Amino acid sequence: MKPRRDRIEEAKKLSGASGCVECGRCVAACPMAEMYADFGIEMSPRGIIKKTLVGEDVVADRNIWFCTECNSGTDVCPQGVSCRDLIRKLREAAIEEDVVENARRCETCGRFFLAAPVEGFVQGRLKDEPANVLKALETCPSCRREIYLLRNA
Amino acid sequence: MDRIDRTDGIDRIDVYMEASRQLEPQLNLEDLRPRQPEKKRFSDRFMPRRNRHILFDPAKCTGCGTCEMICSTRNAAVVAPVLASIKVLTNERLGKSFAILCQHCRRPLCLEACPTRAIEKGDDGIVRINDLYCTDCGMCTMACPEAAPLRDPARQEIHKCDLCEGDPLCVKHCPGKALTFTRGKALRWIKAARWGVQALSFLFLVILVVGTFCYFRAGTVELACPTGTLQNIASSGTLILVGASSALALLILTVLFGRVFCGWLCPFGFVLDLVDKIVPKRLGWPAFLKSRMAKYGILGGAVGSSAVLGYQAFCTVCPIGTLCRSYGVQSVMQSAELAIVPALAATEIAERRSWCRYLCPVGATLGIASLLRLLKIVIGARKCKKFSCIQCAEVCPVGIINADELREGISPKVPMTECIMCLRCVDRCPYGAAKVRFRWQKSTPGEANA
Repeated sequence: MKPRRDRIEEAKKLSGASGCVECGRCVAACPMAEMYADFGIEMSPRGIIKKTLVGEDVVADRNIWFCTECNSGTDVCPQGVSCRDLIRKLREAAIEEDVVENARRCETCGRFFLAAPVEGFVQGRLKDEPANVLKALETCPSCRREIYLLRNA
Repeated sequence: MDRIDRTDGIDRIDVYMEASRQLEPQLNLEDLRPRQPEKKRFSDRFMPRRNRHILFDPAKCTGCGTCEMICSTRNAAVVAPVLASIKVLTNERLGKSFAILCQHCRRPLCLEACPTRAIEKGDDGIVRINDLYCTDCGMCTMACPEAAPLRDPARQEIHKCDLCEGDPLCVKHCPGKALTFTRGKALRWIKAARWGVQALSFLFLVILVVGTFCYFRAGTVELACPTGTLQNIASSGTLILVGASSALALLILTVLFGRVFCGWLCPFGFVLDLVDKIVPKRLGWPAFLKSRMAKYGILGGAVGSSAVLGYQAFCTVCPIGTLCRSYGVQSVMQSAELAIVPALAATEIAERRSWCRYLCPVGATLGIASLLRLLKIVIGARKCKKFSCIQCAEVCPVGIINADELREGISPKVPMTECIMCLRCVDRCPYGAAKVRFRWQKSTPGEANA
């Protein structure tokens, strides 16, 4: 098993995080600001990049599980830093090291597909819906399509 | 990656202008050509036509993937099925194919879940993703029961059907005609017919008092209420053959067509339907009161009390009977009886047709007779659009169409002993999925011949 520091280094290299100029455009474009009331520097893409660069232990950090893995931060970055790739790599490292209390498994296929805070957000938005609609959140999208096929084809 | 020149502010504005120009949708030749405006029909003034939808028939789908390919040419101008906003799933074990595509729900869940409010439902019923606001975060896919907004694995972008703005390519190119673009075929005339029959029946049984529903005689034809006859037999202790045979007419009608009496003929049901029109908001019953078996208990109680007391005790308070007897033109004002109908009509505030759902012993008798029914109502899985529509469950006056099953993507079974055969679901279904069938016919996958 690779040491954690090597994994973080690998994520840094793959996402180009060392090119970050801390302009904050990714924070301005980030949909997390609309999603979480307590959105702040510690969970923002810029904060995560900074923590990675100064050598903090980001893999064990809960803040990497708030991201929706959208593309907007990468789209606006003047340096081409992909915050999504960084967070994805960090999450992969966390799952390989079994730090999974914030990751959600699919009920059907058992794979990790969603982060707990993101699931919490969707459930919060759909809270007026009946319980069986919310139950669909427990399966990953590809399994959901498969279930839909089996019921209706 | 190109670096933006930061020395000159004007240059940067040009860069932004260029970027925003690229975000605007590209016009193709077809858009520039003049379009034939849709022809207005005379009936549109009274009843606006419903929007068109893509219907998918899994029985005709061969899983060829032409729709994916043709869809990808529109989304990305390159033939790559992963970039399409329709996805054909094939189950090799069952030999079945199914197309996942956006159903353009009446109440879209993706719209609720989108963090940047990029999704909107237009007046034309099309649910669109506004590319300017969309961040490709995939929350719409998470919220959708069918996971219809698709994320392509190459560029991680979200693709969702927008019906090609009213002219879908996949429908044009489907070789098996599994996809159709249709306004649907709601019947709409059943409603007028039912109200007409109900009003006529009310006129005859209540206002003109040709007879009451309880006992009706015209020449040699005798008709009687089956529940009343049961009580009559119980109270007198003798089987009156003439009375029993006249009660049989309604039971035979029920065996042939289901409980049509409740939906189409019952004068009290007509009153309830009218009251229902003016009820602004429904309060609902507490769950412990909602027992559909209660009406069978009341039927048993009515028959039993007649046997004990020696006269038809229930019939004196029966709302159908009191309506026929006390509210006619020639009625003597029997003051106590007048209160029964308004009191029970007031139950409409809680649920539609509360009386018929939970209490009516006449309905219970007919419900027992309908165990021998010939007809059933099916909600066909192939045409039903499930969670995106749920109109049948909304219009059903006795609430027997299971909206929860529809939300999960299952075509619900209709319990026919409870169904009053008003045919509102058949009338309203935009896709021709709700139908009347013989009970031995099969119309949804996995359905038993029950």
